[in-house]
Amino acid sequence: MSGEIKKLDSKQPDGPIETAWDRHRFSLKLVNPANRRKRKVLVVGTGLAGGGSAAGLAELGYQVEAFTILDSPRRSHSIAAQGGVNAAKNYPNDNDSIWRLFYDTLKGGDFRGNEKSTYRLAQCANSIIDQAVAQGVPFTREYAGTLANRSFGGVQVSRTFYARGQTGQQLLLGVYQSLMKEVGKGKVKLHTRKELLELIIVNGRARGIITRDLVTGELEKHYGDAVIIATGGFCKTYYLSTNAMASNGAAQTRCWKKGAYMANPCMTQIHPTSLPVMGAYMAKQTLMSEALRNDGRIWVPKKKEDKRDPNTIPDDERDYFLERRYPSFGNLAPRDITSRAIKQAVDGGNGVGPTGVAVYLDFKDAIERDGYDKIKDKYGNLFDMYKHIVNESPYETPMRIYPTAHFTMGGLWVDYNLQSNIKGLFVGGESSYEYHGANRLGANSLMSAMTDGAFVLPVTVAGYLGETFATLEKVDDTHEEFDIGMKVVQGRIERLMNIKGTRTPDQFHRALGKVMFDNVGIERTEKKLIEAIESIKNIKKEFYADLMLAGDEKMNNELEKALRVEDTIDLGLLMARDALERRESCGAHYRMDFVDEDGEAQRDDENFQHVAAWEYQGDDTEPLRHIEELVFNSIQPSKRSYK
Amino acid sequence: MSWVSSYFASSVGKKSVMALTGLSLVGFLVVHLVGNINMLIGSDAFNHYSHFLLSFEGIYVLEAVLAALFLLHAFFGLMIAFQNSQARPDSYSVQTKSGRGTTFASSTMPYTGTIILIFLILHLFDLKFGEHYSVPNEEGVRDIYKLVLVYFSKPLHVAWYIIAMISLAIHTSHGFWSAFQTLGFSHPKYDGFLRKSSIAYAVLVGAGFSFFAIWAYLQHGGNV
Amino acid sequence: MSDEMTLYLQVWRQKDSKSKGGFQNYKVENVSGDMSFLEMLDMLNENLAREGKDPIQYDHDCREGICGACSCMINGEAHGPGKKTTTCEMHMRHFNDGDAIIIEPWRAKAFPVLKDLAVDRSAYDKIIMAGGFIEVKYGNAPEANSMMVGKEVADFAMDNAACIGCGACAAACPNASAMLFTAAKTTQLSLLPQGKVESKKRVQSMIKKMDELGFGNCTNERLCEAACPKGISIISIARMNREYMGTLLKSDY
Repeated sequence: MSGEIKKLDSKQPDGPIETAWDRHRFSLKLVNPANRRKRKVLVVGTGLAGGGSAAGLAELGYQVEAFTILDSPRRSHSIAAQGGVNAAKNYPNDNDSIWRLFYDTLKGGDFRGNEKSTYRLAQCANSIIDQAVAQGVPFTREYAGTLANRSFGGVQVSRTFYARGQTGQQLLLGVYQSLMKEVGKGKVKLHTRKELLELIIVNGRARGIITRDLVTGELEKHYGDAVIIATGGFCKTYYLSTNAMASNGAAQTRCWKKGAYMANPCMTQIHPTSLPVMGAYMAKQTLMSEALRNDGRIWVPKKKEDKRDPNTIPDDERDYFLERRYPSFGNLAPRDITSRAIKQAVDGGNGVGPTGVAVYLDFKDAIERDGYDKIKDKYGNLFDMYKHIVNESPYETPMRIYPTAHFTMGGLWVDYNLQSNIKGLFVGGESSYEYHGANRLGANSLMSAMTDGAFVLPVTVAGYLGETFATLEKVDDTHEEFDIGMKVVQGRIERLMNIKGTRTPDQFHRALGKVMFDNVGIERTEKKLIEAIESIKNIKKEFYADLMLAGDEKMNNELEKALRVEDTIDLGLLMARDALERRESCGAHYRMDFVDEDGEAQRDDENFQHVAAWEYQGDDTEPLRHIEELVFNSIQPSKRSYK
Repeated sequence: MSWVSSYFASSVGKKSVMALTGLSLVGFLVVHLVGNINMLIGSDAFNHYSHFLLSFEGIYVLEAVLAALFLLHAFFGLMIAFQNSQARPDSYSVQTKSGRGTTFASSTMPYTGTIILIFLILHLFDLKFGEHYSVPNEEGVRDIYKLVLVYFSKPLHVAWYIIAMISLAIHTSHGFWSAFQTLGFSHPKYDGFLRKSSIAYAVLVGAGFSFFAIWAYLQHGGNV
Repeated sequence: MSDEMTLYLQVWRQKDSKSKGGFQNYKVENVSGDMSFLEMLDMLNENLAREGKDPIQYDHDCREGICGACSCMINGEAHGPGKKTTTCEMHMRHFNDGDAIIIEPWRAKAFPVLKDLAVDRSAYDKIIMAGGFIEVKYGNAPEANSMMVGKEVADFAMDNAACIGCGACAAACPNASAMLFTAAKTTQLSLLPQGKVESKKRVQSMIKKMDELGFGNCTNERLCEAACPKGISIISIARMNREYMGTLLKSDY
């Protein structure tokens, strides 16, 4: 199988950007309310995007079936977002606007996101706040009773709404409650502990999925008239990340293998302030909120491998490298830049802690300046959390931090309707590549997942159902494609169960993670990427030769892991390929071989102002790299400088 | 009416019956204890006090109410205890008392309650429906004072009484506060006060009643 | 490393919800104090898997104490000995070399065991389904700042909203009662003006559902608040009781 490289059209509406979404919505077909119950949508994933769209479509009157691999929709990983959600309400009167939020998002993504989609995102953000408040989300408030805002992630306006350090949890619970309301009314059929293992396509349209019941092990067929994928990001390709164990990207990989394009998979945000690795069996790295950088100063000793107690190292023997290199932004430099600077300090041999793979985040000066009480008031929770995990008090000893994988800007390719190149397959939230380009700004992830779930997918999916209402052929689970799908999945499981080798899925996963972090992580070079591709291919070969799978075909964590790791390996390979082919530095994708004379990222708008959308060509064939050109009519891409 | 029956069938409804009857009984105990003080004044005072109560016209209504309160409290209490045992068919093989949460009193409510139930039956049998002594020269006046002294002249009776009163104290030390909690009176502002009051009440009732039993024992069985 | 421990685990193994379970003993070596409890179990599982034995099943996801997936009774305490801690955030430095640790699943009629340490907590979802929401549709929301909520009220609502639905309250309760979970939600929603409107119906249907599901009756033993990883107070239970009694006595019109 081989195809031609295509120029993709993401159907961004023409005309003025401010009215683009309104005009586009008007162009979408409607379904008569009485006919809506005749159409069924399958929603995979129940976080902000999935749960929101499931509830939203059910409220409109469509039949919905929602699937989660967890035991309850309330556990979806949207829950873990701490910092907040952005919206240009301009409550603090600090000259924020929809336009500024739009511009900041696009610029933050180093101009690799879609202009009109991003504008829509900024427009919908205000409604998110209204909606969440109406759902009972207890945002933090001022004494007068109005909503509080804070500045977050290095932007110069206070546009972030928050519910203590648990904004994601509260937004998710709001969505979860809306979803359960519809489940209670019988409008949504909820499937928990069920994992998507195959997408079913009939005559070029997504018409169903095959799932595995994680308790009984049974494979099940589910059919519908449209499928929404909202399964979150895939940072587990790095094994260690700030993400939950279920953020594995297997569902996207399944869709990719069925022909959906994967867009910009190399764009991964490495968050600068997570806890360092503490042992071989460490399963995840806890994120320490970025807010800490407002008062904490990042430094390493000037002397290499300096093992002294940090409190005894005098100021002139410390290198506050962020303040030195980026004097105007200092410790508040964007995530990608900070991560890079930290890695360079550690690679230079100045790392601290028992492993030497960490830098200090020091509050000594802040405590001297503002007093212990004020710092405790601001960061008490986070300091307690750090002490809890590391067993050291940040009031006395500087924190040790190191970057780790945090968010995938890339994902399944979608058009302005959030529809993939496969008709009837929609993708929302972190699973798609849509808004964040090459780098995501703080507090923008909740904004995008919420927008997709609440305000975009219910509209565009309904538009698709309206457009196809008269013509869509009737398909149910007796269609032969479902039987073929069942056989494929059964074959996969049997293949893995029968390898009977010596290594567990986690061992392969850790090996993959190491290659990914070292070679497809913060700093990338052509050489390292070529190496990575070779190494991952080897891991894949060994996986099929030497996998050891304990347990049976029923409830079995190991089998779940093996099926996911199999997909994660392919996804990792694709990420490395995409990183290799993108011969420029932009946002989080930093190629050391594409830098300017100061060592800063060198973007190449002439050749790479586009989205790369990869098409699967079979397991042993190189995938095809299609292109969606990015056109900027409303703004001029500028160089992202934080010096 | 379904909304009433569904209320009392619910867990919170049942608990509110427990709390209301419990608090009423808490009030009754105080009255009883205060009445007992007459004993210290002398036989006349005590016998006249009890005669006043017994000859009061509405006494049967009051007794019926009291009995109803007690029976409701016992009935709902046993029902709750039974239902709670059903809520966890397989118990844990270890349960650690870490000092957080539950107290000895709170975890033994059904047991202390049962002891009090048995005690109460015997108490009525031994005293209210016990030997009928008459006060000389005063027709129709029972000499309850003598009855008490005779009854408590036996060390075994005193011991059993004190055990029952300790159970009562333990029971009310949780029950008093718990009733307020169940009825929704709980707030950071006064919750601590309620908890302390609960203990104080338990000590008062337990020690108070026990005091009379010991005092009666020391009066040499009414033979003085 | 000097801080490495050897631990003797007694773990509840149960094939599925219908089978009878029992304890099995495992010895785990080279446990570092920096490991979380689940990482220690991961290590044990990897060893079991390498020996071709069935690994221990347990629920987990975010591993940072917010998703509420992890559970386990550890030496008779829900989420183990740490205060305000979930199992995933409980570090092995709370234990000593040579310790014996007994690990059991949540036990309650309403939380049937699925396998080993994994239990079915969908009963909590059903309680939410019965009324733990504000009946507002997407697109039908007034401007956020048109509703004022005093900071203290909003903060107390947030204290209650912090519930992660892990099940520790019912698991720790001697009566397997779900009052703390239910009260946290009714309190959060009825405190806020946007949720007050339907508070009467909400508290009635949530308590009814809670009773139907086979949870026990609250006897104010306070083990729930002691076990709650988010420190939710039983003051909320009192508040819910008050609200429920109000449905008997008060009318909105």
